[in-house]
Amino acid sequence: MTAYVIVGNSAAGISAAETIRRLDPEGDITIVDVEKTPAYSRCLLPNYLGGTRSEDALRIRPRDFYQKLRLNTCFGYRVARVDVGEKVARLDNGARLKYDRLFISTGSSTFMPPVPGITGEGVYGLRTLEDAKKILAQAGQARRAVIIGGGFVGLEAAWALYRRGLEVTVVEKMPQILPQQFDACAAAILLREMQAEGIRFILGTGIKEIAAPGLWEKLTGKAGRGVILENGDRLKAELVIVATGTRANTGLVEGTGVKVNLGIVVDKYQSTGMEGVYAGGDVAETEDVVSGRIGLTPIWPNAVAQGRVAGYNMAGIPREYGGMIGMQNAVEFRDVPAIAVGLAQADGDGYEILKEYRPEHNLYKKIVLKDDIIVGLILVGDIRQAGVYSALMRKKAKVTRLKHRLLRPDFGYGQVLSA
Amino acid sequence: MKEIMVYTERCNGCLTCVLACAAAHAEDKTIVGAMAAGVPGRLFIQAVNGRPVPVLCRHCEEPACVAACMTGAMQKDPETGIVTNEGHEQTCVGCWMCIMACPYGAVVPAPGKEKMAIKCDRCPDRDVPACVAACPNLALAFIEPEDFARERQKSVATALAVEAGVPA
Repeated sequence: MTAYVIVGNSAAGISAAETIRRLDPEGDITIVDVEKTPAYSRCLLPNYLGGTRSEDALRIRPRDFYQKLRLNTCFGYRVARVDVGEKVARLDNGARLKYDRLFISTGSSTFMPPVPGITGEGVYGLRTLEDAKKILAQAGQARRAVIIGGGFVGLEAAWALYRRGLEVTVVEKMPQILPQQFDACAAAILLREMQAEGIRFILGTGIKEIAAPGLWEKLTGKAGRGVILENGDRLKAELVIVATGTRANTGLVEGTGVKVNLGIVVDKYQSTGMEGVYAGGDVAETEDVVSGRIGLTPIWPNAVAQGRVAGYNMAGIPREYGGMIGMQNAVEFRDVPAIAVGLAQADGDGYEILKEYRPEHNLYKKIVLKDDIIVGLILVGDIRQAGVYSALMRKKAKVTRLKHRLLRPDFGYGQVLSA
Repeated sequence: MKEIMVYTERCNGCLTCVLACAAAHAEDKTIVGAMAAGVPGRLFIQAVNGRPVPVLCRHCEEPACVAACMTGAMQKDPETGIVTNEGHEQTCVGCWMCIMACPYGAVVPAPGKEKMAIKCDRCPDRDVPACVAACPNLALAFIEPEDFARERQKSVATALAVEAGVPA
């Protein structure tokens, strides 16, 4: 009987466990995670913060999931170290878990930029259910919130706290929101919507310091911290959320010989090269099919796909990972949905850009082509055929004969089928 | 496992299937009720070079929409093969990840204020899906894929035989 140990109880880990159980009904599968809750969706934490989703509704699997799939759970413990020679995962309480196959899907943690005061109270990341609960507790007594970082997590947190009735200010270092995913035009549409709702934005400046309440404030009983910006401005807030990015949780393989860049390096089979040790999800580096670049792809669908591929290989059925796009994101604020896939910001020599922009309808479509192959996509307002474009992108299909139809409102799979 | 198969060449674009689908998913199960409530059909007839092409969910073996679903609402039933985000303990939140993932464009946002993705649920309460039952041109069939393939081969063979002057 093969002993499988899965470190990480989220998208990749659950996907690997399900795959292994399907392929190896007898295998002994153990899932270890620091967090004590059954698998939940981190992507839904902003909904929980905003009060539109209960804690129970964050679970991604039914209540009897672990029993039904006969998965041993070891929740509340951290894998401190992996001994690849002995094939043992050592827990922080000293216990040793023997494995034949190990899957590392430890995900990532909030990156706290190194500025003074960032570790003080009232300053939080938004990554775990525990983070969200702390923020909620603080939000109850806060009037003003500052969100540092105008990426997806920052904006969704801003939206959620705004719905809770807080005054929210978002500070973003780049001159636009969502600088990683969207171009200036799409970002402007989404920015306008959020501003119209009442959220304040300060763009183009970073933060210098988070100052604790001064003596006068303490004496007069006024709570609150000051967020000091690079341009010298000082914002007052009782609640600060840091959403400037994440770092992969690779600590458990430090010094083991497992290769780590920004994340754990794996081959096409999600194997780390150490016998029996696999990795996937936010913690692993994989190849992006559009750019060909190897890097972190911290998004849900890819974590699930990597968990599945790892599961196959761990159960002894060779299967390759590939053909996935690293950059794909969807978001919606104030009824304006937006999707960005691939090299959505690519510009300049060699790229052809197809665009349709109707600001009065909050509609924006942009398709980036290179040698008649779709390499990037932005859809704002009308997102219906996003998957069809993405599929063409993944398959690197020449769209020469389809090009004039791509932006038409009636474009769909039918056209692809008949091209 | 039976699937909805499409004979594109038989489709004349009458949209009866779309109306039947809308009716099947309306509260009162009627076309009028569907139109009044703005219930959309969950399959699509797309015009390609003036020819109608039915596009609908394939209920894939390894569905991209299920992998993309971050609430766990989108599931594939191992028994029936049906892929749907409805009727499960986990519910859809309208994050549109499935829409971004589906290569057929078969998942769309629900109309109106409710944030939810909708797609073909292959009419779990019916023996034959509403679209198939309604199609007057027999362009849709609810059959085993093997039977569909066999029938296709036979018709091609017959056509070739006729061309070659061999009695079928």
